[in-house]
Amino acid sequence: MLTAPTLAQIESIVHGRIRAVLAERGGSDVVRLSGADKLSAMLGLSSLDLAVLVAELEAELGVDPFAKLVSITSVRSVGDLVRAYQQAFFPELQRGGKDDTVAAAVKRAQTRRTRTGRR
Amino acid sequence: MPQARKVALVSGGSRGLGAELVSGFLNRQYGVATLSRTKTAFITNMLRARKGRHFHWSQVDGRDHEALRAFVKEVGERLGRIDVLVNNAGIAMEGILPTMRTRDIVEAVEVNLTAALVLAQACSRLMLRQGSGCIVNVSSVHAIRGHAGVAVYSATKAALDGLTRSLARELGPRQIRVNSVAPGYFDSEMVSDMAEEQKQRIARRTPLGRLARIDEVANAIHFLTSDQASFITGHTLVVDGGITC
Repeated sequence: MLTAPTLAQIESIVHGRIRAVLAERGGSDVVRLSGADKLSAMLGLSSLDLAVLVAELEAELGVDPFAKLVSITSVRSVGDLVRAYQQAFFPELQRGGKDDTVAAAVKRAQTRRTRTGRR
Repeated sequence: MPQARKVALVSGGSRGLGAELVSGFLNRQYGVATLSRTKTAFITNMLRARKGRHFHWSQVDGRDHEALRAFVKEVGERLGRIDVLVNNAGIAMEGILPTMRTRDIVEAVEVNLTAALVLAQACSRLMLRQGSGCIVNVSSVHAIRGHAGVAVYSATKAALDGLTRSLARELGPRQIRVNSVAPGYFDSEMVSDMAEEQKQRIARRTPLGRLARIDEVANAIHFLTSDQASFITGHTLVVDGGITC
């Protein structure tokens, strides 16, 4: 891609690639994706499917946000994936970078402890 | 313009086993890309003979991760695809661990292991998109048997075998095979400093009674990258004349 895409274009491209991977896996035709859709739990994408997605998106968009910018383990939903690529083109969208990642991890750990009754 | 022929990327193709593999893949009608730290007479001759047809070489230091990634990207663009990666580049690092310099340990890990990981990562991206591919890591019998004086070298080669098994599981669902070849001693520059007496001692301990020829090691790699090995993945093929059996 010669010029930087818009936020909407990035979202459309990422959604398109997700649909293509789902179609290739012989899954149900997903007409519409939501940012809240969980890549693994709801769409059934494996880590290898995600790797294929990232490889395809790197070829199409020319960037790999997971090389340095974002940890792939922080990507859980369609929205997370879209945001990772949007941040690669628009760094100003990053709020707290590592701090946000750490805060999210702490929040998840607290939720797990609450569920299991551990301290 | 993408080409129809298969493409093999061989790291460390300027001499020894790497050069043998480069010639072997070209003879098998592959497009071949190779990288090395130095431009040897072999590379100069290949560039002159091939005039850029189906052969690509770049001077790359295996410790430069970005240069490795850029090389893979360049190969993908110039030759259209990558079907085979042979992680061949390596350095022998001799000396017992207690007295080895830290920088030598780090260099051995960087060249023998980290470079292989970076190349496998970059090439597997292309292979994932292709839905096919083959990776061969050049390990060593030192990964299987302990020998004094090669602890660091053994560690890097054993790590490659671990990489082979796990990566085979990771990439298998996309029809990408990953294997290792573990050569014993073979006639190459890496054993050229060895005393004749030492070579004869190794030959005596080898059931087949001699060191391997370099083409015998290369042939095992060509077999693993061929369709004849289409159901072999996650395997370490020992090519040692029986010295570890």
